[in-house]
Amino acid sequence: MDASILLALRDPAGVPFYPIIFQVLYILTWALHAAFVLLALGSMGLSLYGSTKGQSDSHWKMLTPHLIQTGKISISILIVLGVAPLLFTQVIYDPNWYVANTLSGMWVFIFIYTLVVGYSMYYWYYYANKGQKSGSVLIGAISFGILVFAGILMHNFAVTSIMPEQWMQMYAPNGVIDDSGWTFNMDTIRLAFLVSLSIPVLGIFLQNYSRFLSTRKDFDLSYIEYTASLGTKTAVFGLLLSAATFVLWMLQIGYLFNPLSIAIVVGVLALLYLSAVNFNSYITTGVLVVVALLISGMRELIRFDIMSKLGYSIYDYPVNLEIPTIAMFLLTFVVMGFTGVGYLLTMAWKVGKNEGVFDGSKDAVVTKLGTYTLNIMIVWMVIYFGWGIVILFNNIL
Amino acid sequence: MDVIGQFPLFYFPDYGSAWMMGVTGTIHILASHTSVGAAMLFAFLAHKAYKENRADYYPYMKKYGMFLLIFSYVIGSITGPGIWYTATAASPRGISALIHNFVWVWATEWVFFVYEVIGVFVLVYFIDKIDKKTHLKLTYTFALASVGTLALIIGIISFMMWPGTDAYYTTGSASDAFFGINTFPHMFLRIGFMIMLSGVIGLLISSSMRKENAELSDELSKKMGYISIFGGFITIFFFIWYMGTLPDNAHAVFAFSKDAIIQNRIVLTLAFFLYFALAIYKPKFIHPLLAIAMIFVILIGGLWSGEKLRESMRKPYVAGQYMYSNQIISRDVPGKGIKSELPIIAEKGLLALNPFVPKNLKVITEDNKLQAGELLAKLSCSSCHSLDKTGVYRPMRDRLTGMDKESIKAILYAIGNGGMSYMPTLKLPEAEYDAIAEYFASQNY
Repeated sequence: MDASILLALRDPAGVPFYPIIFQVLYILTWALHAAFVLLALGSMGLSLYGSTKGQSDSHWKMLTPHLIQTGKISISILIVLGVAPLLFTQVIYDPNWYVANTLSGMWVFIFIYTLVVGYSMYYWYYYANKGQKSGSVLIGAISFGILVFAGILMHNFAVTSIMPEQWMQMYAPNGVIDDSGWTFNMDTIRLAFLVSLSIPVLGIFLQNYSRFLSTRKDFDLSYIEYTASLGTKTAVFGLLLSAATFVLWMLQIGYLFNPLSIAIVVGVLALLYLSAVNFNSYITTGVLVVVALLISGMRELIRFDIMSKLGYSIYDYPVNLEIPTIAMFLLTFVVMGFTGVGYLLTMAWKVGKNEGVFDGSKDAVVTKLGTYTLNIMIVWMVIYFGWGIVILFNNIL
Repeated sequence: MDVIGQFPLFYFPDYGSAWMMGVTGTIHILASHTSVGAAMLFAFLAHKAYKENRADYYPYMKKYGMFLLIFSYVIGSITGPGIWYTATAASPRGISALIHNFVWVWATEWVFFVYEVIGVFVLVYFIDKIDKKTHLKLTYTFALASVGTLALIIGIISFMMWPGTDAYYTTGSASDAFFGINTFPHMFLRIGFMIMLSGVIGLLISSSMRKENAELSDELSKKMGYISIFGGFITIFFFIWYMGTLPDNAHAVFAFSKDAIIQNRIVLTLAFFLYFALAIYKPKFIHPLLAIAMIFVILIGGLWSGEKLRESMRKPYVAGQYMYSNQIISRDVPGKGIKSELPIIAEKGLLALNPFVPKNLKVITEDNKLQAGELLAKLSCSSCHSLDKTGVYRPMRDRLTGMDKESIKAILYAIGNGGMSYMPTLKLPEAEYDAIAEYFASQNY
């Protein structure tokens, strides 16, 4: 695939802002999305183990439903967070995104319904576990399998998208066009590394879980200690496994001594130490976020290099500046997004810390954040309609 | 080297790939419209519950919310990106055109969407863990965030039909593209439908509560009946307004099946009016099975046919009246520096310009004519028509039954000369016309 074709596949409308911004937003939002993918995978997997313990073990009796609930919420959040990197990637990497999706069109369609079935079954698993139904482990295992399959399909799209030199061979092997959309590619080591990360993410989550509940009097100390210890063991084992698969992956593609790769190794070692001593898991989580951003950056670096070598640089994408809508996004993201999500998370935190009913109306922070969020949304609506009316009148009168 | 930015073709036998978007889109509309409607309904019910001290409304809201979590936040939140995802496979340049015009609008919608998804879990799971005043404020923000997602997506889907004025073509501005003359009627048409749907789903929940509390079940069913009638009225009012804001090509397509569509809408209106009247006057007759059946009637009779109509009325375009459904740019958009691809295609042909056509098909010969004709037919027609003899979705077999090569070619010429407003004015070199006609004739439809 030569440069002239790759450049022709860019959208003729250009990009509405400087490409580097989309690249940064992509790295940031992919890391957020991946964090919840890994948490969902880890908590679902461990909940299945917990389900096999049934009611016999008092710790698992309590932990399993919490893990199922964590998996359930994480899937919703990973879906919503996953929209953003998909959006940003296709603005600057149109050739990769659209070619991969057309080549794998059938898998794209199957992916959507795999996710619908897998996630719906997960709710079934949630209710079956809640009602202590005998088949709950089986339902959970099937749901888990379907959702993992959806993840593998997503991996296929990502891998196919960075194989530009083989696209033509995939589409028209020996000059005969295959428009069936069944193209499927895997990179086992890359997939193994990314999946392995679900283990340390789960481990650090369990440490946080234990730390969070440690202030609640209605949870036994033995339970708090058990979940912390389980988290530490899981995190340490998972980090060692991830480090090994990461080194293998980097060796495979020749990036082991790249500064970013070295930074990731250092980050993993730091995580290993922090999670092993577990003196404050919230700090460990902060480091985990940094490592997640570095891994997201590494994925982007690999793609950027592949495309640059073929003469496609996102930085050369023609820019058609679009000020009003980026202003809308930035203001909404920063003002409403941070206030609103801050409001919801603060409330969730306080409800979780509280035993019984939480009276938010007597909590100054929650009340203020709620009022600000509501007012910001009302002002947003007023601006939206005002803006629309001005544009419309200007164009039709 | 002359190249146009077309991607590999993905073709789904018998149906074409467009139906995939249609199926996913129809399911999504039911789930997402329910979600926004329910958010408004929650705000209304929470307000009444708080002001009138009606604690018995909260279990209803919780039950409704649990249903919503699965229905809207599993099915809806997957099929939403799902439409977009399947569109990337079926209509890559169409969705790319939207993305490159509206990426920041979509990104803004995403902020609301994040609030909505976290918000629904907080709203449902904390309903009995937080005080009523805080809960009320939360429902207000949840309703506004949900309406915000509609406010942002509506300009994009309205632009798919047309920008509404010529301003966009000159300025290339997303604001001019977003706020066309059909944007607001379209928005309120959907708000009406969302309100109505929230009542229709509400009837399922209220009727299923009959065993637990018959009196409350009846009261809420009555309320849902009134809410649905109110929403239905807004829908019809703005539908008429919306139709008046559509371009000529949309009306040309509409005219084909105008009588059947109007008849369908009258039957649906009457059926639902009777259903809502039943809910108001005889709420105990609303059985959950009836409520489920009516949801399916909306899905199949209303949404599926409505979405098919909306998609047909856009023809031959897929975005902004500059991108044809078959992935060809049909006009200049000076504001964005976009050039029509029709002149160069007429001169050099699709096979030469499409970068994914293999070398052995770049030049038509006697040996490859049928193969080239098939590829050209797929590239030019399969975004709207299924080409197979057993085709189901707008099948070519219905249009070319019994025709010989010359008759088919005459149709292709007419289309290329702009003789049908709902078909792309796609002029091709003679050799390509000939290859397509030969391929279609060989099918003996």
